[in-house]
Amino acid sequence: MTSAVALHGVVKEYGTGGARVRALDGVSLNFPQGSWTAVMGPSGSGKSTLLHCAAGLDRVTAGRVHLAGRDITRAPDGTLTELRRRAVGFVFQNFNLIGSLTAEQNVALPLKLAGVRVPRQQVRAVLARVGLADRLRHRPRELSGGQQQRVAIARAMVTRPAVLFADEPTGALDSASARTVLDLLRAMVDETGQTIVMVTHDPVAAARADAVVFLRDGRVVDHLARPSARQVADRLARLEG
Amino acid sequence: MLSLSWGTLRERRWLFAGAVSAVALGVALVQSSLLTLVATGEPQIPPGTSGREAEQIREGYVGAATLLGMTVLLAAFLAVFIVGSTFAFTVAQRRRDLALLRLAGGSRRQLVVLLLTEALLLGLAGTVLGVLLGVPAMWAQAWLLVRLGFLPGHFTVGWSAGVLPVSAGVGLGVAVCGVLAAALRAARLRPLDAVRDSGAAARVMTAGRWLVGLSCLALAAPLVVAGQSADFLGALLVAMAVSMLGAVAFSMLSPLLVPPAGWVLGSALRRAGVLGELAEANLREGTRRSAATAAPLIVLVALTAGFAGTLDSLAAATGVEIRRLTAGDLVVESTGAQAARLRQIPGVAVASTRLSVEISIRAEHREEGRTWRHTYHSGIVAIDPDAYQRTQRLRPAAGSLDRLRGATVAIGPGLAAEPIRRKVPPVARIGDRRVRLRIVAVMPEVLENGADAFLVPRELIPDELAARSPAETIVQVAPGASVQEVAARIRAADLGTVRTVSEWADARVAAQTRGNRDIMLVLLGMSGLYAAIAVVNALVMAGAERRTEFAVARLTGLSRGQVVRAALVESCAVIAIGLLLGGLVAAAALSGLQVIAVPWTLLFWLAAGAFLVGGATTVLTAWWATRPAPVTLAAARE
Repeated sequence: MTSAVALHGVVKEYGTGGARVRALDGVSLNFPQGSWTAVMGPSGSGKSTLLHCAAGLDRVTAGRVHLAGRDITRAPDGTLTELRRRAVGFVFQNFNLIGSLTAEQNVALPLKLAGVRVPRQQVRAVLARVGLADRLRHRPRELSGGQQQRVAIARAMVTRPAVLFADEPTGALDSASARTVLDLLRAMVDETGQTIVMVTHDPVAAARADAVVFLRDGRVVDHLARPSARQVADRLARLEG
Repeated sequence: MLSLSWGTLRERRWLFAGAVSAVALGVALVQSSLLTLVATGEPQIPPGTSGREAEQIREGYVGAATLLGMTVLLAAFLAVFIVGSTFAFTVAQRRRDLALLRLAGGSRRQLVVLLLTEALLLGLAGTVLGVLLGVPAMWAQAWLLVRLGFLPGHFTVGWSAGVLPVSAGVGLGVAVCGVLAAALRAARLRPLDAVRDSGAAARVMTAGRWLVGLSCLALAAPLVVAGQSADFLGALLVAMAVSMLGAVAFSMLSPLLVPPAGWVLGSALRRAGVLGELAEANLREGTRRSAATAAPLIVLVALTAGFAGTLDSLAAATGVEIRRLTAGDLVVESTGAQAARLRQIPGVAVASTRLSVEISIRAEHREEGRTWRHTYHSGIVAIDPDAYQRTQRLRPAAGSLDRLRGATVAIGPGLAAEPIRRKVPPVARIGDRRVRLRIVAVMPEVLENGADAFLVPRELIPDELAARSPAETIVQVAPGASVQEVAARIRAADLGTVRTVSEWADARVAAQTRGNRDIMLVLLGMSGLYAAIAVVNALVMAGAERRTEFAVARLTGLSRGQVVRAALVESCAVIAIGLLLGGLVAAAALSGLQVIAVPWTLLFWLAAGAFLVGGATTVLTAWWATRPAPVTLAAARE
């Protein structure tokens, strides 16, 4: 299996001098195409930093990052912008929808920014797919958290990114909404071969992934394939303990 | 892209309503000043007006045109400044939205295009509104000029479609230029800023701010020095330039100045309890918002206090000069006939009479190879050179007043700066007589506005004309005689109004101050109103955008009243900072003058008005912004 995202000896440091913090300390990881990987670890283990670096949102201090077949380690802004339009999708804990746009407009936005004409049918079909056929013209603040997250997922579905990055996608949701969102992500992987890299705290969410990677103090410390929620919780408890 | 602009416009209508009104008022002000200025271009002089009246009307037109020219300049400056700071604020308030756009794959260019498109839309709306608003503004301006006596009652302004391109240029140009810097700065936002509020973009003191702020300071400094040796108009222009440059410099550098000022105020605020502490923290945290709110106030205070201070100082200096130059005890105002009898009053040692005579003098001018003739009607004064020199300490810069006998003339202080040819005899027209006059002396310049234009010997004037001309006589009382008794005798003899020299000098200063106040009104009336509205505008925009923050504060346990009070304390602190910085600029503008009169009354009312209006605006806005239940706002992040 080829990698959608690959990190080689990635180091990320923040600050200078005495205040220097090493958030990632030589991380090497492959995220295989068409699979869903969960990244777990205690608070401050570098999970979010890993995601930001892998998605090209942040520059690494050392090491190399490959994304969708390209070396993005020192890629200029134009290249990264282009990647964000076509190859990368984001789903965040706080949804990150544009407040002034309707659900429909939010979904069509990345393609419009890329200068691609978006058939209305397609946008509506995708919103129907996430169960929001009757919420097309609603603005984010008129939607519940779960609905907002589904809009964000619909946005990722319509662009069909090479990699979908998810940062605590269920972190702000109730358990029913969380299940819906996880079902949608699972379906994307199973039906269209979507690659997902997801950072999470929640063992239940992690158990839906194909593989779980554990991080601690900026290093990869463990790896599980197709684990149960209980196994994940046990490992996590051991790491935190 | 357009739908995105439109969607954002709808969503952030408070922010953008503020931006549109800033553009609209700026366009209205520039347009109305310009149309009024054009209308003053050709003085309307009714047929049958005497030469002297026509000259006064023409001088009124020239004065009004000078003032309006300055008003146009000021209006354009305010429009650029206020619209620029308003737009920068609208962009700064939407940092997260813009970063989200980058996250969704928006390129830097698209971000700039989006913001410029928005600015064009807003500029267009503002221009249309401003063109309409400009019409009543023009009427108001013309009314003011007539009311204050600069222009005759029959003065009319007319609408001309020719001004439309200028208005559109101002509206659109100012909107686009205003947003350009902010757009370029926003283009440097990183997508990651949508997720984390950090990084270089959060820095408020940008390189551009440093550059503009410091270069404005550097430009203002030599002007302050130049102001020391300028005449009336020069001093006014210097004050205007220093106030404008200083206001820009300080509002650019205000992110540096707001936190320390906030810290100083903070020690007082912290003692005021938890609300004060919160306000102080907000002040430090929301540096950009504080700076944007303080900016129009800095301009308002700098301009009004700078102008008023300069004008009052000039008037005060005039008073000092009049006292220094006048050697006498009493001043009597009367007719020439009455004045001629003053010397017979017991106790009067010297009576030096200045007769304002209704004759005309035509003189030849030459400057830079160009020669022209001009006829003067007002400011011509007949004197007795001996008596004059005993009561007047001003001595000619050239020639001698002793030779002012027969067909001669001295160029007065009012025309000392004019390029009148000394060798060519001016021609006086006295009744229907023409007399060629020899120039025997040239007086130096004085500070007073409207000083004498020409001095002619008394014997040149026919007795009949002299007897009915208005006279002003400086009386020296004989040694040993009581000034009060002499004054009483003059009054008893019914020889005119008697005042001491000191009272008379005060009255002249007061007259000049009144004139100055009128000048201020014309120059700053509308512009001041514009800046004041901009202050309110900034406060409303800042408050309306803080709904989420207020909601979070309420969830933390603050009551609605407490949130409003904290916002009030904070905005009072910002207003205090704005007043302080504006006052500092005004002080710099005044520092070059020799006699300094601080316009305390104006400053007091300015401060009181700022606190009152600003406070009320903040309370209303904060009350409105805390109307929805806090949970609905805190949950839905903007």
